[in-house]
Amino acid sequence: MQTPISIRAAEQKAFRATLADGLWEVLAGCVMLEFALAPLLTKSLGDFWSSAIFLPFWAVVYLAIRWVRRKVVSPRLGQVTFGPARRKRVRQVILVVVLITAASLLMGMLVMILFSRGTIPPQDGPRLFLQSMGSWPLGILGLSAFCIAGVLLDYPRAYFYGILLFMAPLTGEWLAEHLGTAHHGFPIVFGVISSLMIGLGLVTFFRWLKANPPLDLPGGED
Amino acid sequence: MPNPKSNPDLNLKTRPEANLENHPLTSLDPLIHAPARLTILTYLYAVESSDYVFLMRMTGFTWGNLATHLGKLEEAGYITVEKRFNGKKPQTLLRMSEAGRNAFRAYKKAMQQVLDDLPD
Repeated sequence: MQTPISIRAAEQKAFRATLADGLWEVLAGCVMLEFALAPLLTKSLGDFWSSAIFLPFWAVVYLAIRWVRRKVVSPRLGQVTFGPARRKRVRQVILVVVLITAASLLMGMLVMILFSRGTIPPQDGPRLFLQSMGSWPLGILGLSAFCIAGVLLDYPRAYFYGILLFMAPLTGEWLAEHLGTAHHGFPIVFGVISSLMIGLGLVTFFRWLKANPPLDLPGGED
Repeated sequence: MPNPKSNPDLNLKTRPEANLENHPLTSLDPLIHAPARLTILTYLYAVESSDYVFLMRMTGFTWGNLATHLGKLEEAGYITVEKRFNGKKPQTLLRMSEAGRNAFRAYKKAMQQVLDDLPD
């Protein structure tokens, strides 16, 4: 047993324990999968459905993770409610994610408006968006979201994902320019990132299960 | 070994500062001061509420050990224990009472003073 030397350390340890199962990484990886697969589906499903098809997929993954949390994680870890300070930080993370998602949507809408007005020729649109408008802002948005989440949630691995997301659009563009990779290299770079997130998340989850076997409790206590 | 009688500095009876009545050490709550209970209270102070399983995971204590210490803390009014059902399974929810929080703060203050008074 390791006794924490401070109340803050105890609170941090308790909070990190609730994130240590790796399942949120699986969810984030499934979200990233859209950036990898949507460009490949555009030809067969069209612009809208190639992205919209991921909404039910995310919903299924989210519900599956909630079920695993309730049936597998919770009986092994127990339940905890955090104080107002920690709840405020979690709300801040949610706010940041919502703001960044809104910013991404606004960027997308701006490009759509420019397309429709003919300011950007359709054939140059995606390239211009990604090269002059999208690459850096997209990368910075990803980096900001994960770094802020890392700070507010005391979760260091989020920084690593933030850096990967920052590099992804730039690397994709570089691959497209130098190696002629299709779809701005997105299927490759986001495929690697989402596989890494899902893979690391699953490895973390199974290691967590091994390290936290079910407790032998009297009276079937949960 | 030096003889306290021949050396007045070592004779506790003759040293005025040896009177422990007002020493911060005496104000340390013995119920909180025990390492196991201090660990339990640190976690319960840090969170709003927790169940038995979470506390067992955090502290590394066994069910029996935890039950013994929690019983003493409940008896002193430092924690509240709420029994309820989570679906069909019984669940015990633990929460630090206001009295417990005040006692823990007082303990922290007294301990800080004791540590501050220690020479470097």
